Amino acid sequence: MTPTKSLYLTILLLVISFTSVLAASAEENSKQVDVLDKLSNHYYLDFKPVGKIELPRIFWDEDGVSMYMSSSNALESGKYVDTYYETAGLPSEAYPVTYDLARADGTPLKIDLSLSSHLLYFWFAGFILLALAIPLARRYSAGIGRDTEPKGAFQNMMEVFIVFVRDEIALANIGPKKYKKFTPYLITAFFMILIMNMFGLVPWGVSSTADVTVTAALALTTFLLTQLNGSKDHWRHVFWFPGVPAWIRVILTPVEIIGLFTKPFSLTIRLFANMASGKVLIYSIIGLIFIFSGLFGDAVAYGTSWIWVLFALFIYLIKTVVAFLQAYIFTMLSALFIGMAVEEHEHHHDHEHEHVHTA
Amino acid sequence: MEMAYLAAGLGAGITAIGAGVGIGIIGKGAMEATARQPEATSEIRTSMLISAAFIEGVALFGQVVCFILAIK
Repeated sequence: MTPTKSLYLTILLLVISFTSVLAASAEENSKQVDVLDKLSNHYYLDFKPVGKIELPRIFWDEDGVSMYMSSSNALESGKYVDTYYETAGLPSEAYPVTYDLARADGTPLKIDLSLSSHLLYFWFAGFILLALAIPLARRYSAGIGRDTEPKGAFQNMMEVFIVFVRDEIALANIGPKKYKKFTPYLITAFFMILIMNMFGLVPWGVSSTADVTVTAALALTTFLLTQLNGSKDHWRHVFWFPGVPAWIRVILTPVEIIGLFTKPFSLTIRLFANMASGKVLIYSIIGLIFIFSGLFGDAVAYGTSWIWVLFALFIYLIKTVVAFLQAYIFTMLSALFIGMAVEEHEHHHDHEHEHVHTA
Repeated sequence: MEMAYLAAGLGAGITAIGAGVGIGIIGKGAMEATARQPEATSEIRTSMLISAAFIEGVALFGQVVCFILAIK
């Protein structure tokens, strides 16, 4: 599984370099797939070839807060210009409209609060999670599943996941004394990431986890939760490592402090890079059809297209596995970091007896 | 500017070699451990995934740097 993924990352980078070299050589050909455009955040929901829905724009600038129902409305008002083509210097026919708006009179935007596709799909994932979790919680508080067996396919399926996160992730990594406090967060993070990853597999869907800001926010939550619940031992290990000579602490303390921040950073990059690379890979492989049509003509492109479609299907199946695996790994590493921080060593054992009732 | 593509390609390859060797060693260790103690399979798999995730994280840092070089 994981060796497959490192192989697939290798292929990814090969394909990227290949694609960009060919794209550079066939620059006059406008039939390109702009892979980076697919990766970036948009101010519209793209439903090609049906059309697209522009999202509301909210700006806070010199004129105060202004709202427009769409980017086109904002452009029509004459106060804003599309800056993308000026900075990139691209011909506007070959590249899609970006709606990277700036003030026409040159004064800066204070805050751009506009809705974007990644944000919207993040909210969709949240709504789906609420729609799944609230009926489930009602059932359990009514006693179904606690006093009796869980009823129906939905409750049974969700219980498998929830019990898995509780026992295999939270209990195994945090320990029996404190896992109950963190289980709700871990279950929420698991399902949220899973649903966001799954959106990348749906036609026209956008996976928000392929945006580094979303994964950074998730990792920041884990970081705050870890540090705020850190035990005395955790901080002693950071600032005054026990059992080593004093001069070693001069080296060890900075390393430990850096170590605090590399953990959320690696959580961020791992989730982001896995989800983004799957997307890039699929678009690069599909893009080969267009590159072949540019190099050898349309007949060759039609003839070989089935190869690339099969490849893309294969990558799609890997992406499905990766969607589950990355949700699991993010949750498990979060639990591991929390477990390391809240752990108390035997000699600091206080005599509070915690009554853990196992159901 | 073309040198950036070369650097990105070489860097991606070298990162993949490192990650491949690392994950290969983990896989070898896990398989040997499972063969000796089949009853501990699930715990071995969990710790194998954790170590693989750490290696993968470092490898992905490298890949992201190469990616940034390639799209610059």
